[in-house]
Amino acid sequence: MIPFEMVEPKSLKEALALLDPQESTVRAVAGGTALMLMMKAGVFTPTRLVCLHGIESEYARITVSAGELRIGAMATLSELERDANVAARLPVLKRAMRTLSNVRVRNVARVGGALAHGDPHLDLPPVLAALGARVSISGAGGDRELPLEQLYSGYYETVLAKDELITAVKIPAQAARKAAYMKVTARSADDWPALGVAVSFAFADGAIRDPIVVVSAATEKVTRMAAAEKVLHGAAPDDATLARAGDAAAAAAAILTDAHGSAAYKRELLRVYLRRAVREALGDGARPVRQ
Amino acid sequence: MMRTINFTLNGQPVSTAIEPHRNLVELLQRFDLFGARESCGQGLCGCCTVLVDDMAVSGCLYFAVWVDGKSVTTVEHLDAEGSLSVVQQAFIDCGAFQCGFCTPGFVLMTHQLLKAYPNPSDDDIRHYLSGNLCRCAAYPEIIEAVKLAARR
Amino acid sequence: MNQVGRDIPRLEVRAKVTGRADYTHNLRLPGMLYGKVFRATVPHGRIRCIETGAARAVPGVQCVVTGEDIRKLIAEPYYGPAFHDQPILALDKVRHVGEPVAVVLASDPHVAEHAAQLIDAEYQELPAVYDEVAAMQPDIVVHDMLKPAGTFADLKHLKGRTGTNIALDFHLRRGDVDAALARAERVIEHTFKTQQCLHLAFEPFVAVADPGDGVLTIHTSNQTPSFVRTEIARLFGWPENRVRVKVPYLGGGFGAKVYVKLEALVSALALLVRRPVKIALTMEEQFYMITKHPTTFRIKSGVGKDGRVVARACEVYWNGGAYADIGPRVTQKSGFTAPGPYDIENINIDSYALYTNRTPAGALRGFGIPQLVWAYESHTDLIARELGIDPIDFRRKNILHQNRPQASGTPMTDAAIAKVLDAIAARLAWNKKLDRGSGTVRRGRGVAIGFKASISPTTSVAIVNVAADGSTTLYTSTVDMGQGSDTAFAQIAAEVLDFKAEDIRIVHPDTDVTPYDMGTLGSRSLFHMGNAVRLAAEDARAKLQALAAQAGLPEGTNYPPAEVFKKRFGMQAGNVIGAASFVPTYKSPDAQTGLSDNVTPFWMVGGAGAEVEVDTETGDVRVLRLVNAVDCGKPINPGVARTQLSGAAIMQLGFTLSEAMQLDAGQVTNASLADYKIPGIRDVPPMENELVEAEQHTGPFGAKGLGESGTFGVSPAIANAIHDAVGVRIMELPITAEVVFRALRAQQGRPLEDA
Repeated sequence: MIPFEMVEPKSLKEALALLDPQESTVRAVAGGTALMLMMKAGVFTPTRLVCLHGIESEYARITVSAGELRIGAMATLSELERDANVAARLPVLKRAMRTLSNVRVRNVARVGGALAHGDPHLDLPPVLAALGARVSISGAGGDRELPLEQLYSGYYETVLAKDELITAVKIPAQAARKAAYMKVTARSADDWPALGVAVSFAFADGAIRDPIVVVSAATEKVTRMAAAEKVLHGAAPDDATLARAGDAAAAAAAILTDAHGSAAYKRELLRVYLRRAVREALGDGARPVRQ
Repeated sequence: MMRTINFTLNGQPVSTAIEPHRNLVELLQRFDLFGARESCGQGLCGCCTVLVDDMAVSGCLYFAVWVDGKSVTTVEHLDAEGSLSVVQQAFIDCGAFQCGFCTPGFVLMTHQLLKAYPNPSDDDIRHYLSGNLCRCAAYPEIIEAVKLAARR
Repeated sequence: MNQVGRDIPRLEVRAKVTGRADYTHNLRLPGMLYGKVFRATVPHGRIRCIETGAARAVPGVQCVVTGEDIRKLIAEPYYGPAFHDQPILALDKVRHVGEPVAVVLASDPHVAEHAAQLIDAEYQELPAVYDEVAAMQPDIVVHDMLKPAGTFADLKHLKGRTGTNIALDFHLRRGDVDAALARAERVIEHTFKTQQCLHLAFEPFVAVADPGDGVLTIHTSNQTPSFVRTEIARLFGWPENRVRVKVPYLGGGFGAKVYVKLEALVSALALLVRRPVKIALTMEEQFYMITKHPTTFRIKSGVGKDGRVVARACEVYWNGGAYADIGPRVTQKSGFTAPGPYDIENINIDSYALYTNRTPAGALRGFGIPQLVWAYESHTDLIARELGIDPIDFRRKNILHQNRPQASGTPMTDAAIAKVLDAIAARLAWNKKLDRGSGTVRRGRGVAIGFKASISPTTSVAIVNVAADGSTTLYTSTVDMGQGSDTAFAQIAAEVLDFKAEDIRIVHPDTDVTPYDMGTLGSRSLFHMGNAVRLAAEDARAKLQALAAQAGLPEGTNYPPAEVFKKRFGMQAGNVIGAASFVPTYKSPDAQTGLSDNVTPFWMVGGAGAEVEVDTETGDVRVLRLVNAVDCGKPINPGVARTQLSGAAIMQLGFTLSEAMQLDAGQVTNASLADYKIPGIRDVPPMENELVEAEQHTGPFGAKGLGESGTFGVSPAIANAIHDAVGVRIMELPITAEVVFRALRAQQGRPLEDA
């Protein structure tokens, strides 16, 4: 690493002003765990890092209002993991935290950074996307809000401008919706996933309603599987339906070959794990593999 | 670029000037503390575990300037009173290491683990310590050591 | 007091749990410069030019050194234990991606790293060869000429050979294989392969050279300090006493840190700049230093009606990468065990060490044995299945028993092969039916056994120093890298001298102080150095007795040493030095037949049994139970021995299920712990580890080493268990979920098709 400037603004506004809409060597740093990896690998060489630790503490709060859970972007992953509201309202998120990276990274990494990084192998984006989360973004040009999955435009790419920051993620009330996240590792247990499948849906009168199906890791970005959602909506979660949903997802997903496995193999995993995710959400013992 | 930082290191207030591109492991080496070691360089192996404000971090992924105003504890502080910690003694009694390079990280993480889970199950132990790797693979003995320390 | 057989904690436990243990990693010397290596980006090419100007211009850079600069200091800057084929920095040609081409020196490692990124080299690219079987053809030749080191008599005939990648071919002929195969009831043939993987010690390679004034001191994380001293002295044309090599604890070795690794480079740099120089590799850079041989093993067996193997032909191809390192030794010393621990009348072995354009390969916890066992125990299982014989019964029928000649002709003395097999069968309750699962979850079980010869001929020297107060210090050049050798030697010396092991101090390798040892490798230390320590302690005991006699103390009484010294010298003064060398006898294999009746001083035996569960929908394999058993003679410290066994088995589990270096046109594409997956705490299956009751009659107090033995059986035991569970056979490591899934789909007649 070569020397650079680290500035520590005291407010979000100040932080935004210190970013540069044109200059990619100026970046914000929250927990820094992913950024430092990029710097060590030589793929990112900053001239200035805008450290966000000193901005207003409200951006680190996790609050509930009108049933909506608002997670400040500067909350650490550990704070999310330990939050009582998260545990009570979003057990799927609480469970996912257990195998998300490791304790030390969770202690330091921030929610905003985990979302803005754009690495499709991360666990938080698919889980939040399945929960219908929206991200709040602030920039020099004003504020905006997006469904989480629309944040991603490609492999490690987001729609964030260089002078925009994520300030919060909002998760709507889940009521009785059921949810599950399957992190499928293909090598060792602590590996990055070869495939992530997150689902949530309402379940009434024996039928699935308004499902959200999200695929990650195997694709270049976190992706909603509309075709599979269509198959599931209004259907009973029997083997035939789940197989058709799996086929629909496998046909639609743009799956990549990488060190975790071939595209053909991961497509097969998607068929299997979509079914297992739905079953897991329904609470009937899918076999968790290396969870 | 040089910046003066003040922090508490193993109970003592200290001050030093350091540039933003150096990490916490490098900072500790300036104080002749080598128990935190950069090995994988990616926060995966846990050899560089350090406690900052009593919270475990990967020293290799943590900017040194960030400890300004904070309290830093390294493995060298655990026997400051003269005797080994319960965890350290349990690691010895269970033979929970071979080459010893990853051991300080496992010991510090076990201290944290036992605070979060005073009576941990095997599953708690495996999940909490999944961010620490041991190439000598003393894992079964480490699990025993954690349980022994919890019992004591 | 019984010191041997006691479960004492390692001597250095306190230093290790407090983070204060001494590793080369920690060392900083006044005025020290850090070196950062600039590495080749092409697998095979002639160097056209190396552009270092931009790097030199970086503020804080002391200098940039290339191979030509080294050549000004050393006319022939090539090193290696078997062949002098490896340049200190690339000269004329590069032969693998990651080969060191230049070094930047700076007092700030960040500056050196940044400047190294600014170096540029141009190459005339040459076609490259990566596969060991392809390398048998001389179409692409990695080295223009073979340059054997001269230390090994059996390599001399290779000197000056051109137009080949075969660094060594070893052949063994016993009986008449062709005739026996022709007569055999059945002939069964398979080809197995293993992948390139690596040690990844958590203290990555690190060395510091201090040029000194007439004496060069090298501090290094290395398993072979005596060899390093000899080789560095040879490179500079100096007497050995001008080179001093010091080795503290090692943060893991596993066979990576043997012979010269960074030592020649830091030494040359330190002499060039006349300042201490440290090079510490990153985890990523370890992927370009030394690896484990990928192999292809063709094995053919003839079996009689009675289920006895009557003939076996083995062709083994060892992918040694760009530099021979110790590969030729692996090819021969492990090669002759290729038929497995079975009593077979007719045997052919053809074993080839090959150069390719990969990272060099050397020794990794087993010196080639795990690759061989993978093949012969998978093959054995397949034969048993084909014959419809229970795999344990089949092995029992063919096993080598006490004093029967092994393929080489050397008798299997003190090799508890049958006992190891029995222990595994008993723990798996082999005679009871296994719950085989149902639906998409199927279970199976498998076993495998293997054996290894110790490296020979080798020398170990030990010194025991009893001070006038009776306190005792032990000097050896054995490196304690976690295996517990310090503790075991203290126990051995204490047993002889009737002291307490914990009271003995160990001096770590320092070639100015500690005597010669061939190296801490191949599980040889406990036997070789252990015997030397025992003899040295006996020498000290005899001298103490002589001293007592001189002091006029009556014979046969056991006086504390302090009293003897005081009586003899009138005060607390003097000391007693016991010293001994241990060099077992050896007969090199016959040049024609490859046979020898004394090829090893002892045999190591290890085996494993596994129960697995296969998810047939995903190919995911879960090991439900792993049973490991070894013959380590009578353990000196059973507790430490068991952890060694367990650690070796888990390491091999990684080589079995997940670890593989991935190459794309010679580039390693997964050079990090994020992408090369070693076992973590959640990957460890329930395990049982057994040291079978045995004795090595020539070992110190009946003991022998076991650092490697726990690796032998793991891979084939798992493959055999998978076959048992779902009926598919995996022929190549690693056995990832995808590999199993593809095999399952092929078995169903609908192979997985890649788009």
